[in-house]
Amino acid sequence: MTTYAVPLLPPDSFDQSSSMWVDEAIWGHRLYDEQLPWFVFLEFLNVLHHEADKGRAFTEPAGFNTLKYRARRRLHLRNILFNNPHLTEIRQAYPDDEKRWSEWLKRMKGATGIAHAQFDYLKNHFHSFDDFSETVEFIRSTSLEVDSNKRWTSKFVFPYGSNSLYEDLDNSGSTNDRRFFGRTGEMLYLMFCRAERKQDLLIALKTKLLKTDQAWDSIIKCLQPTEEEPLGGERANSFLPYSSHRCFDELAQDWLSILSLNIPGFDVMPHLINLVGLHLLRYQLVVSREILGLESPLQLICEVVAPKKTLVREISCDLYQENNLLPAQAIEAFISRIEGSPPWQRAILENGAFEKCLKILREEVRWGEDYDGPSEPEQLIGALRQSAMKRHRQHVANIHRNYGREIGLVSKRGTVKLRYAPTDALLKTLLFANVEKRTELHQFLERLHVRYGIVFSDKQAEQVLPKGEFEKKAFQANSRRLEQRLGSLGVLKRLSDGCAYVVNPYHVATNEQ
Amino acid sequence: MSAWLKFLRHYGPVPRNDNMYDETIQRSARRQRMQPIEFEHPAQEMIVNSFNMLTPDPVSVILTGTAGDGKTHLCRQVWKTLKGDDQGWASDNPYLTIESQYPADRTSWPISNENSLYRTVTIHFIRDLSGWAPQQGTAWEPEKEELLHKFCKSLFDPNADEIFLIAANDGQLVESWRRLRQTDDVRRVRQIFEELLVEDRREQSGIRLKFFNLSLTSSAVLFDRALDAMLGHPGWNELKNNLSAENDLFGPKCPIRKNYELLQSALVRGRLRSLLELSDYNGLHVPIRQILLLLSNAILGHPDAKDHLMSPDDVPKLIAAGTVSKGSLYNNIFGGNLSEIRRQSITIFDYLERFQIGIETTNRVDNILIFGEGDELLGQYFEEFVSADSFYGADSRYYAAKREYVEGINEDDEKSQNFLNMLVSQRRGLFFKIPIAAEEELHLWELTVFKFAGEYLDSIVAALKDRGAVRRPLLSRIVRGLNRVFTGMLINSDRELYLATSGNYSQAKVSRILVERISVDANKGEKIILLYDPADGRVLLTVYFSPTLSETFHLTLIRYEFLSRIAIEGALPASFSKECYEDLLAFKSRLIAAHSTRQGAERLTSSAAIGLNLLTLTDQGMPNPRVVEVTQ
Repeated sequence: MTTYAVPLLPPDSFDQSSSMWVDEAIWGHRLYDEQLPWFVFLEFLNVLHHEADKGRAFTEPAGFNTLKYRARRRLHLRNILFNNPHLTEIRQAYPDDEKRWSEWLKRMKGATGIAHAQFDYLKNHFHSFDDFSETVEFIRSTSLEVDSNKRWTSKFVFPYGSNSLYEDLDNSGSTNDRRFFGRTGEMLYLMFCRAERKQDLLIALKTKLLKTDQAWDSIIKCLQPTEEEPLGGERANSFLPYSSHRCFDELAQDWLSILSLNIPGFDVMPHLINLVGLHLLRYQLVVSREILGLESPLQLICEVVAPKKTLVREISCDLYQENNLLPAQAIEAFISRIEGSPPWQRAILENGAFEKCLKILREEVRWGEDYDGPSEPEQLIGALRQSAMKRHRQHVANIHRNYGREIGLVSKRGTVKLRYAPTDALLKTLLFANVEKRTELHQFLERLHVRYGIVFSDKQAEQVLPKGEFEKKAFQANSRRLEQRLGSLGVLKRLSDGCAYVVNPYHVATNEQ
Repeated sequence: MSAWLKFLRHYGPVPRNDNMYDETIQRSARRQRMQPIEFEHPAQEMIVNSFNMLTPDPVSVILTGTAGDGKTHLCRQVWKTLKGDDQGWASDNPYLTIESQYPADRTSWPISNENSLYRTVTIHFIRDLSGWAPQQGTAWEPEKEELLHKFCKSLFDPNADEIFLIAANDGQLVESWRRLRQTDDVRRVRQIFEELLVEDRREQSGIRLKFFNLSLTSSAVLFDRALDAMLGHPGWNELKNNLSAENDLFGPKCPIRKNYELLQSALVRGRLRSLLELSDYNGLHVPIRQILLLLSNAILGHPDAKDHLMSPDDVPKLIAAGTVSKGSLYNNIFGGNLSEIRRQSITIFDYLERFQIGIETTNRVDNILIFGEGDELLGQYFEEFVSADSFYGADSRYYAAKREYVEGINEDDEKSQNFLNMLVSQRRGLFFKIPIAAEEELHLWELTVFKFAGEYLDSIVAALKDRGAVRRPLLSRIVRGLNRVFTGMLINSDRELYLATSGNYSQAKVSRILVERISVDANKGEKIILLYDPADGRVLLTVYFSPTLSETFHLTLIRYEFLSRIAIEGALPASFSKECYEDLLAFKSRLIAAHSTRQGAERLTSSAAIGLNLLTLTDQGMPNPRVVEVTQ
């Protein structure tokens, strides 16, 4: 059995006022389904930059879970890009460059969140208002969430470099209300702090990010005033309950593989982000299985989308449902463990059992204050179950589905039910992270199975499925379809019926470096 | 009298097709006193020459390829060259040895027969590696493993007096080497195999090995040779010499005879060859075994016969039943006589299916087939292609079904489906009947999924072979297609190649930041040209940034089709867009990397101002770049 890591307790300095501590005790503070992998990555970059500036990246010098950092707010930039619907109109209404500038500057005096807004500095950087507008339009078009209906303070410029990073803010631009930066990026940062190869990773990240084209970040800088804007408030109280975990190491390993490739410029980011989603999702399920005492490894049986319903699809649908319930079952098991613990068992036999039990729950899971049901331990813990489950369902329970869909692992394509059916983009990410130069297809498939529990072909399916459910032909057809897909992505070289290689086109030959 | 046809049938898709394996065909041919279909493999001379007097210092040879590529056959030719005895060859042993004399000085063949001038070389034949390597899950027999270790070692030894000839499927080859006890030599050799295979090479310097991958042989050339050998087989004479009655085998109504005659016609032969040649250009290789299967099936196929292949005895019965038209060569070529499952499991039919012949059509063609009869304009075509063909054109079944379909007498889905199936057969027939002179008028290639296939063959491949260049409008069209993919906009420019990015994602659908323009005509070292590489029969598009810096793209048929459609229609054809699109974006990445190399130190950030080249289009689709400068 995989050793069940003993969870850490929150440090004493921790803000104790937060509500129930069940999901958090199991997975951390916190996995937040509305913060999709891109935003997790952005939040992470904010933390990393702050900590790297202080010379302590990927360390926790004051002890586990003591991360404190401040992020940039860059309200001038954000007002220009996302809170500025005037450009086209001004260009049309005023033929004269000077007039255009003055009209625009006048309108921008009321920019949100900035006291005494001044945008005059822009005139030093652009030859004309037209140039300025074109640049803004273009940068806006490459930003994240531009087309969504998210509030303007939750839209983000592409992370070209340190001048492009800032935190999510509320509507008035005054504080991070944890709407879309829900600490999952902070958790991600903590995971790397506790990964075996964190030093290598830090070097790789710095090297790769330095190699990207700095021109874009310089342009973003030009849209901001020369004097520093005030930093956001101090962010603290993120929490990751394990001092080490193989999920952390595996994630770091995959990032290292991607960063070592010769992928041009910023193209590396979508792959890093896919891996964040995949490993966070896996982390949640793997930890759930540990809590449930399930010894067999997590399996993700994947369909390569077929035109018609197949057995693989059915199995994948069922398995998706099964895995989807794991976190809820883990909550159940976690609470049962409290109920079965010696203190609880003693308490229910003693006088004032209810009060004692209530105390246990307050200490263990910070819950019970508002409980107004019958004063019976059994009802009390039943109520905890109910409310823990209710709270779990609101956000944490959706990680598997939301992250799975976002990174292209989970899909409904061709059916009404969700199942594992990776997209081409995700397949590429997996290939780049797992194939150095080239490798035989079946070795690649074996590696995906060993490392992620991902199953495509009959060989792996036979190992994990009970005899009655396994059907060789169906899985053979599935891996044939996979082969076609990989071929169509230009990463497979089939030699003959018996021999195919998957190829990583971004491999860097060591003698070239 | 029909032993030949029975023999031919064994080349086809029957459950026990003995004639698929060189070992078994030799035996069954002897037993039936039949001469097998034989022809010289295009690589035979080169392989045999590696062992005869043209080679003073022979090295080991590996014959690899997919099943049915002729490995065993070629091994046997070498064995014969070395004067190996037939009996030894006829044994079941996958391993044979023979000794032969070669010049002692390893440089040239001496004139004298003086013994001391020669050395004895042992040649180890492993004519079937799968019979030599242990079954999956069992261990190597020590002496067998030892022999392969010896082989590995010999490749690096310039003084070796032992060489090897090993025949193996590529998959087996790699697999066997993975299962060998790993020594440095074994690992090195495995690496070499892998590189030779993946990079389509024949040699590696310093290694005493010639590596023949038979899967690189042109399927079209194999087809020519196989077809000549099959049509010229003496077995036909006997059939032709027997005067047959009207309803007898090889009589005037016999579908086998008709199919045999059709295969001899230049038109049918030429079109079929084109399909194989085009498969080659799409990187799909058809092995000999599959070509013979195709020919056997084309002549003998009939859905109502046992195993869907006619035996001599079937012919009178099928004539009597009035179902001769179901044995149509045109349909058999695509495996139409076989069940869907059977057809899909056969490589050649899988490849031919990709042309979608019979499914793809034009209004014109369907009008001829459905409404052509008696029509003022289309009537002559209907007459020529459909009613004049008393065998596979319109028989009474076709007319009846057509009438029901057109007049809508019956809304029975099954019946109209029946007619639609007949239409498929007729369209297939048309593909082989439209004369060369009418190809353009009737848009022959629109009967396939590759509308530009004919142009690719005639105006690209043949033009490059003959004159080394293509007509300018075709090159312009390719460039326009590339520009549209590279920018994601409906750009009409074709005098320069536009390299553009989106700023943060080189693979983005729309790329508005213009990085560079490359002149199509030769200009300051820049140019864009098409070349035909005779070594591997590939069409290559090369973009030169300078006389010494270039990037090359393999312009397969499918990519040509894709670029042409984008250039002309603008829309991405959904059916095969994905693959080509990915390939083209990868090519763009390489081009941008080459551009960066040329730029060298002139980086964007080095100056005080950053220039952004924003690409927009005029109403006519002409590029209209606008430079925006940001001062730091």
